Amino acid sequence: MTEIRDIEYLVGSKKIRNKTITPYNNIICNFLSDLSKELNLSEESKVYPDIKTLAFWCRKKNIEKFKNQFKSNESRLGLGLLFHITPSNIPTNFAYSLVFGLVTGNSNVIKVPSQNFEQVKIICNTINKILKKYKTLQDMITIVRYKNHNFFTNKFSLLCSARLIWGGDNTIKEIQKYSTDQRSIDITFSDRYSFCTINSEKFLSLKKNGIKTLAEKFYNDTYLVDQNGCSSPHLVVWIGKKYKKARVKFWSSLKEVVEKKYELSESASFDKYTQLFKDILSLKNISNYEMYGSQIYTVLLKKLDKDNHKLRGKWGFFYEYNTNDINKIKSFINPRYQTLTYFGLEKNTLSKFVLSNKLRGIDRVVPIGQALDMNFFWDGYDINKILTRVVEIR
Amino acid sequence: MNFKNFQNLEPFEFNIEKKKQFFQKHINQLVKHHYNQSQQYKKLLNFLKFKIKNVEISKLPFLPVKLFKYYDLKSVQDKNLFKTMMSSGTSQNLPSKIYLDKENAFNQVKVLSKIIKTILGHQRLPMLIIDANINKVDRNMFSAKTAAIKGFSIFGSNHTYLLNDKDEIDYKILESFLSKYGKQSFFIFGFTSNIYEHLIKNISTKNKYNFEKGILLHGGGWKKMENIKISNKMFKKKLNMNINLYHIFNYYGLVEQTGSIFLECPKCNCFVVSIFSDVLIRDKDLNIVENGKKGMIQLFSLLPTSYPGHIILTEDIGEIVDNDCTCSHRGKRFKVHGRSKTSEIRGCSDI
Repeated sequence: MTEIRDIEYLVGSKKIRNKTITPYNNIICNFLSDLSKELNLSEESKVYPDIKTLAFWCRKKNIEKFKNQFKSNESRLGLGLLFHITPSNIPTNFAYSLVFGLVTGNSNVIKVPSQNFEQVKIICNTINKILKKYKTLQDMITIVRYKNHNFFTNKFSLLCSARLIWGGDNTIKEIQKYSTDQRSIDITFSDRYSFCTINSEKFLSLKKNGIKTLAEKFYNDTYLVDQNGCSSPHLVVWIGKKYKKARVKFWSSLKEVVEKKYELSESASFDKYTQLFKDILSLKNISNYEMYGSQIYTVLLKKLDKDNHKLRGKWGFFYEYNTNDINKIKSFINPRYQTLTYFGLEKNTLSKFVLSNKLRGIDRVVPIGQALDMNFFWDGYDINKILTRVVEIR
Repeated sequence: MNFKNFQNLEPFEFNIEKKKQFFQKHINQLVKHHYNQSQQYKKLLNFLKFKIKNVEISKLPFLPVKLFKYYDLKSVQDKNLFKTMMSSGTSQNLPSKIYLDKENAFNQVKVLSKIIKTILGHQRLPMLIIDANINKVDRNMFSAKTAAIKGFSIFGSNHTYLLNDKDEIDYKILESFLSKYGKQSFFIFGFTSNIYEHLIKNISTKNKYNFEKGILLHGGGWKKMENIKISNKMFKKKLNMNINLYHIFNYYGLVEQTGSIFLECPKCNCFVVSIFSDVLIRDKDLNIVENGKKGMIQLFSLLPTSYPGHIILTEDIGEIVDNDCTCSHRGKRFKVHGRSKTSEIRGCSDI
């Protein structure tokens, strides 16, 4: 029965401490700045764009921005030891989770995907190299890889002050079977649904280059993660009367981008074809469908319904709906909705849409192209606040 | 749809041009038949904006094979259903459900036997099955495997199961079978993975068993074979060397098109298309590829009448082969390269 105890320590060792330091302490900020520089300069970052993105994200200036968001009149300390369970199919997500934990002054045990991603190795090696200079942090970062949940998940769950559980609903359910200390909290990043809205008139007034740039941004929000990121849109809501002309222009220019950048496999193509047939047979609210090669499938909906969040595409399979006013779709928004990406609508209109209608979903409203930008406000949580505790002193 | 019109034809009798005309006519009739008989099929074709008219087979709409996993697709009234066939499904993988009426089931047997007779002849031969006795297993486990063994059993006599309950060769049974029937033609049937496991890898070579008069028909069992990676050539060579077996026929067929299976030509080692079926290869944009290029295999069959499985797109990768094989069978030839690789998806959702 040695198998269940197989664990790899990519960073740190089995000596796990539950200690905190002051949030955004200089040591942490310098460490992250060094990490950013080191990753950015490395040969590997040229091969892996996601490493480059990470390096750019944890650069000094950005961390300072997060620090400014953190500043408040309260006295705050980290919670203690955080146990991060990171998603199995995004190689660099664990590093973002680590940064969340570190800047807020916590110690961290991080479970990385069991699949041997090269990116994980590169990032861990870089962390190990830099950690030599940062004695204080050495026992605050433990990065582990193991396959079976039971033994270690149980152990770390009992030790930690909070768990950050990334992944689908099933993973979360699985992890929550392991009990934690009474004071410990779970911060769950579950399956979410995201959509996009475009003002057709504004879109049509774009010049050729503008359309191309927008298509590229939309590509980054979707195809870059096979449309399977929780912030990747599945539905495009067209606002305005000229949507018929706008949508053809939009998908055609997206197709050009996808053709250049994206490698669609036979099995993904087969899956999309199957999904189209399933939709035709199962859905009552389809009016039409279109294919732009196999790169883009779109299904046009006559009306939305409360189960709309279940209509999800992968590898470039979208749903479309047209309305003259975004407020008309308010009754379909439920807590599953995470990100709304937009083009051609006023910030003010969208803020009213969410706030005045007091919607129960939508945690983020960002321009097209920023869907996947990781931020300290995520899934409706303020990471700075939720990973620290307030010390009241009168 | 009247199958009687062509049930007297032989599987490989037409030349390319005649086959093309014959097939196009009948497959178009079949499309019309399903359009009129199946609400779901009609809904699909209407959405695809397909108008019923006589067109080239490449222009006909094709259903993704997985659809039979998610929907009960039928072109007959429930009261006329005779039996349901299921493909093997694992826990994450739903089985396909194929609904047959008596006529469709009968036609499957009829055509299967026409095709099989081209290698076994007209007599029922003693049959050695490379599996454990399916009659002993749980009735509820009626799987594709049981269906295949039962289906092919009608071409044999003195059915003998080679494996015991532990899935090992029962040598007593083997020796007794060979001494009784081994001197005249006999029929061997099994899944490719079982043939590999038992007749290539595990069979004792201390006593050289003589299968010289045997005719082996094998197919399926793909998932297990994927890790083994043995070439067809080596597979045959090992059987030649190990047990003196020379008459070896691989077959390719899907539960969705039972009956119109494809047999391997012993000369060119390609699958040969009978007049009851056809094959096209499509790339990931679903366009037809040139002969010799790999892509997804699209299958046609004239047999499905009680369910709309007559034109399907599979996830299998294959290629059409142009050759001037000197064998007596006429018909298009193709190779199968296995299932398309499942894409590793990126992103954070686990659904």
